[in-house]
Amino acid sequence: MGVLVSNIIAIYRKELQSYFSSPFAYVITGVFWFISGLFFAAILLGPTGVIAQVAAQDQFGGGAPVDVPSQFLIVYLGVIGSLALFILPMLSMGLYAEERKRGTLELLATSPITNWAVAVGKLLGVLTFFFTMTVPLLIYEAIAFLSADPPANPLLLLVAHGGLLLLAAAVLSLGMFVSSLTDSTILSAVLTFGLMLMLWVTDLIASGVQGPVGEAIGHLSLLTSYGNLIQGIVETSDLVLFASYIVLGIFLTAQSIELLRYQRS
Amino acid sequence: MIEVEHLSKHYGSSTAIDDVTFSVKPGEILGFLGPNGAGKTTTMRILTGYLPASGGTARVAGFDVHDDSMAVRQRIGYLPETPPLYPDMTVEAFLYFVARLKHVAAGDRSTRVASAMQRCNLLDKRGVLIRKLSKGFRQRVGIAQAIVHDPAVIILDEPTVGLDPRQIIDVRNLIRSLAGEHTIILSTHILPEVSVTCDRVTIINQGRVVATNTPDQLVAQLTGGLGYDLEIEGDGEQVRQALQDLAPVQSVQIVPAEGQARQHLQITTEGPEDPGREIAALVVGAGLGLYEMRRRQVSLEDVFLQLTTTESAASDALEDGEAIAPESQEEAIASEVPSPEAPLADEDPSSPDITT
Repeated sequence: MGVLVSNIIAIYRKELQSYFSSPFAYVITGVFWFISGLFFAAILLGPTGVIAQVAAQDQFGGGAPVDVPSQFLIVYLGVIGSLALFILPMLSMGLYAEERKRGTLELLATSPITNWAVAVGKLLGVLTFFFTMTVPLLIYEAIAFLSADPPANPLLLLVAHGGLLLLAAAVLSLGMFVSSLTDSTILSAVLTFGLMLMLWVTDLIASGVQGPVGEAIGHLSLLTSYGNLIQGIVETSDLVLFASYIVLGIFLTAQSIELLRYQRS
Repeated sequence: MIEVEHLSKHYGSSTAIDDVTFSVKPGEILGFLGPNGAGKTTTMRILTGYLPASGGTARVAGFDVHDDSMAVRQRIGYLPETPPLYPDMTVEAFLYFVARLKHVAAGDRSTRVASAMQRCNLLDKRGVLIRKLSKGFRQRVGIAQAIVHDPAVIILDEPTVGLDPRQIIDVRNLIRSLAGEHTIILSTHILPEVSVTCDRVTIINQGRVVATNTPDQLVAQLTGGLGYDLEIEGDGEQVRQALQDLAPVQSVQIVPAEGQARQHLQITTEGPEDPGREIAALVVGAGLGLYEMRRRQVSLEDVFLQLTTTESAASDALEDGEAIAPESQEEAIASEVPSPEAPLADEDPSSPDITT
């Protein structure tokens, strides 16, 4: 057990260090911060933003009172979720593809470490990097929450960001599996992006299919589960769904790396 | 330390290695010699647990490479053909990473990493990013990576490929210095490497072991003789019969030299006796001018070619043996480290078609 943990930590630290020393990761982060900052301003303060809408509603005196901070959070994190769909495949694309291309997979495969431990360490590494990417967002939101009157519940913020991390972990885990299938990083990113779109639109497919099949497909939707979490609704079924995607990704990755040994190289 | 028995590996219908058996004693350096595609890398990958074997067994330090894979991996240092390096890490950070990966205890890591860097002459480069290192240094980082956890067994797949002559000498010295405390398997298709660094040689061809012995004995066993090249002034026919009558002499060939009244004599001998003294005495005694006399030792290269080429090519190589050896010797000197006793087979266009 101790060995397993120290193996995972070794991989984790190496992964994290490689993201923090990669110019490419900085570019992605920069773009992500820029776009998320723009959306933040537009959704909160823009002419069609949440504040303007609530003000208009107040003026005409219609409808129930609106919880501005939580309305804002739902819209904003919804957008960030879509943005993450573009960003995450770029973070996960190199996880194994790079190792395969550089031949370092041979080092990992001949070290006393299981494929599982490598996959878990890698996933934790890239997830930590994504988390650091979202820290500034958390700060903007905290400021918005604190300046609301009456102050909004900070727990909502934590649950919503927990949801974002779970979504990211699920996407990255599947992205890691795709990355283990090829030694081309570009191909890996494109395939992951395609796969994510498919999962994203399972909602649409589900609504098009009648009966229990449609319902079953609907339950696979990452979007629905993510939507619940950013509203502050914590349901076991959503957590199980995310956990299933994460474990599935790790499992498939470990299997696909194991299978590589049986192929002619 | 390493016992390989009847090992085989098939990829679909093609056979990479077939019934490979050899063993390595503790502290020994075994050279694994064979043309490209002979199955050297496959064998090494099986030993390191990277590839599963199709049949047979391999044991490293008493552990089966398949059943006790993790125990074996912990005791093996492996340098694949392309060193497995992360370009964005510094040398030191990379070695720490590998030390952690190979279960070096936290308290020993800094001493192990420092000693690996010191052995491989990397202390000056410890803070340099690997992508900024030259090929020679990368190779050294690759070797440092293989020895950082002080493994009982070190497996090096073509450790000197692509290096310049100076670096090749450095790497060979490094490998030699590792013998004794470590058991080493070294694969190569470069012959001088074997005679310079290895205690024993296993020659593998088309997935089969064709010979295992010390480099010297291999030469002696397979050729059992040497020869002399002479350049004389006068008519060699005068001494031909007398030379033929010398006990160890097998044949005498006379080739006219260009211009002048000179001739080349090519004398082939048999057995361990060296008739150099008698040959010189006969030639001079007959009143012929002796301008050059050179002993021609059959090199490991000839043995290698003989063992690894297909049958027809092998007999060609034997027939042309005398012609091939000096020619490739010149090329060896031009292309790599001067090593007169054992010329390079590597990149030698005159080598008969080595099958893969």
